[in-house]
Amino acid sequence: MSLLKTILRNPPLLTFLLVALVWLVAGLTLRGFGAFGHLRYLLELASVIGIAAAGQTLVILMGGIDLSVGAVITVTAILLPLLSPAWDPTGLVGVVLALAIAIGIGFLNGLGAAVLRVPPIIMTLAMATFLQGVLVLVAGGSAVTVQNPAVILLGQTRPLGVPAGVVLWVVVSAVVLMLIHRMPIGARFLALGANPLAARLSGVSLTRNTLILYSLSGFFAGLAGILLLGMNRQGYVGIGDPYLLTSIAAVVLGGTSILGGRGTYAGTIPGALLLVTTTALITVVNASPGWRSIMFGSLILGLLLISGREARR
Amino acid sequence: MTEVRPILEARGVFKGFFGNPVLKGIDIALQPGRVHALLGENGAGKSTLINLLSGALTPDEGTIAIDGKAVARLSPSMARAAGIGVVQQELSLASQLSIAENIGLGAYPKRFGLIDYRALARGARDVCELVGVTEPLDTPVSSLSLGRRQMVEIAKALFAKPRVLILDEPTSSLSAHEASVLADVIFTLRDRGVAVLYISHRLNEVRALCSHVTVLKDGGITADRSLDGIDGEGLVRLMVGRETGALFPPRPDIVPGPLRLRTKGFSAGIVRDADVLGHAGEVLGIGGLVGQGQEDLLLGLYGAIPARSIETKIDGQSGLPNNVAAANAAGIVYVPADRKHEGLVLTHSIASNIILPSLAKLARRGLRSRGAEADMIGDLARQLMIKGDVARPVQALSGGNQQKVALAKWLPLDPGVLLLNDPTRGVDIETKREIYKMLRRFTGEGRLVILASSDTPELVHLCDRVLVLREGRVVLELRGDAITEEAIVGAAMGIEADGETRIVREEVAQ
Repeated sequence: MSLLKTILRNPPLLTFLLVALVWLVAGLTLRGFGAFGHLRYLLELASVIGIAAAGQTLVILMGGIDLSVGAVITVTAILLPLLSPAWDPTGLVGVVLALAIAIGIGFLNGLGAAVLRVPPIIMTLAMATFLQGVLVLVAGGSAVTVQNPAVILLGQTRPLGVPAGVVLWVVVSAVVLMLIHRMPIGARFLALGANPLAARLSGVSLTRNTLILYSLSGFFAGLAGILLLGMNRQGYVGIGDPYLLTSIAAVVLGGTSILGGRGTYAGTIPGALLLVTTTALITVVNASPGWRSIMFGSLILGLLLISGREARR
Repeated sequence: MTEVRPILEARGVFKGFFGNPVLKGIDIALQPGRVHALLGENGAGKSTLINLLSGALTPDEGTIAIDGKAVARLSPSMARAAGIGVVQQELSLASQLSIAENIGLGAYPKRFGLIDYRALARGARDVCELVGVTEPLDTPVSSLSLGRRQMVEIAKALFAKPRVLILDEPTSSLSAHEASVLADVIFTLRDRGVAVLYISHRLNEVRALCSHVTVLKDGGITADRSLDGIDGEGLVRLMVGRETGALFPPRPDIVPGPLRLRTKGFSAGIVRDADVLGHAGEVLGIGGLVGQGQEDLLLGLYGAIPARSIETKIDGQSGLPNNVAAANAAGIVYVPADRKHEGLVLTHSIASNIILPSLAKLARRGLRSRGAEADMIGDLARQLMIKGDVARPVQALSGGNQQKVALAKWLPLDPGVLLLNDPTRGVDIETKREIYKMLRRFTGEGRLVILASSDTPELVHLCDRVLVLREGRVVLELRGDAITEEAIVGAAMGIEADGETRIVREEVAQ
């Protein structure tokens, strides 16, 4: 019984077990689901959500939220091909420029939230709307095709059979887990998330940490955008839209409190896996897009009831 | 004993949390027309017992009985219906609502399914008159001082016409005047046959108001008797379970050390034009009625609210700190009065709370060093006698132990100036004694302690020098034997002070 209790009290582990269970059942009942290629594909899809949700996890842990994640993904996916200069054979200049823009957007979000005291939900939503307008002006309705070699390498190669995007996700996971659990700043923004007033009176700067975290959220969303562009080879308006809900859902599915102060990225990782698995299962069912969307929404709610529930105080 | 049937009783109740027994077989009987005192140190189980009596918790064993009949599962709404009213230590008012709305909350008089505001106003006016709340009834509670809010809270309990009234430290934020109004209210209720349970750490009040006492210690009962023929010392002995030494450590004959703090023309919040001097090795008390700028003075010195001054020197550095981080870097630390909301991150562990200000100091190459952190936490927990596993959330600790954590977290910074805002509010006597001893140890090490307090005896017996604030201005400075309750209270209330203030002002000017 005590083993069961330990599992129930450990949301990341619970979510991992849920993923394993779904994979096992689906692998046994659905033809082709359990094939190595298919599972690898799921991992690859999950890595985009996982990387976008890395920044989201940090911001939510500090008691905020970033609703501009989808827009930042779209911005990087569309601007990167346009910003990559032809004289650069590696393509790294374009990548750096795109990431700098993503960080800049996050920094502006942080400025709005910390200095102008705009509630983060409004600040980031306004930012997303603003960016959408800019993109329509810049790209019009057409898709842009990427030629940047670094981005194509990231999206298409599989060193030792592992997609490069998954490798990137592993690196991001290691860095973010380190940041939360092994670096002073992690303890600081958890304290800010749980009790901003007490944290401030303990010498933790709200402004500084808010700026850092929203910038990081912009950075990770930008990284996800680059990976998505590499996998897709094309950027277009709306490419990042699905990642707003999924980045938040992955965080919450992993047991992180939406109110801040409690949780870990270790839960977001299986949360992202669970989301792509759900999407894949829905695709198998032969239903119209309307019904698929309804099923996806209902399933996310259902899954939240199982694994993402706030522990009772 | 008497034949009067108690209105509310606990019979042999047991209650534990997370496997720790908190109450071990408690009996208590609240009789009509009697003011019953409940005493005990923090952590003795008082709050738990109140929660059982009011239906907020269910006992593991034993029963709660109303009018002699055992109630199987008492719920808060059943308790309310049975006429049990509780005034909690933590204020539970909805601050956006008006006085009248708060008073009626949960028991709004209705007419045609809508709130009958006229009946509400009538009822609210009656109880407000009783407790001396004279503010207009549509005043939002958020604009009232802590003491006034407490009186509204009491009015709210009276509005439900209780047969049993439980008061948990009702006077901790009240002025002397408000406390005497409350005493009259309690006597009126008693004469009407209400059973009153009165919890306080102020023994003088208990002896003035109550006729019967139950003393809790470590979840058991050490006394259930009449208050006749027992003095303060005896009560303390029952609570602590052994002979007690003096509550306050002896005041050393200090030769004031060098100046650590000197500010002229200091203004912050409602504080105007204050001159403050602080020497190494000194406890400087800040007194006055509730909300006269004591907190603003401390927060301003701490850089937590905007402040300005004509001239400030703190430990040789010029100028006031601009923010909390700068204050911490300059060796200034602050322990807030409201430890639950301002002092501690309640849901986080004891260890996380203690480590928070020292994270950067203990980090090696940008990473936290678990070993060094564990050493420091263990060391502090031992030094301050914080009991139990440091991985537990702070909210599992009693008030006194929480306060120790709020203090302990600053020690690794080796602060030169400690700003303490009412550090012993709601803290039991034994922890008070420990805190006083600790403060004297700090001053012995050459630190400056600035202590704002609502507890006048604390100012009289602990402090070397006391500033009294009224309406944001320093109206009196006292030192040594001149520090008396009469002088402090007199100045706080605006009764003509003697010439001492002037003398001190001249000194500052030199």
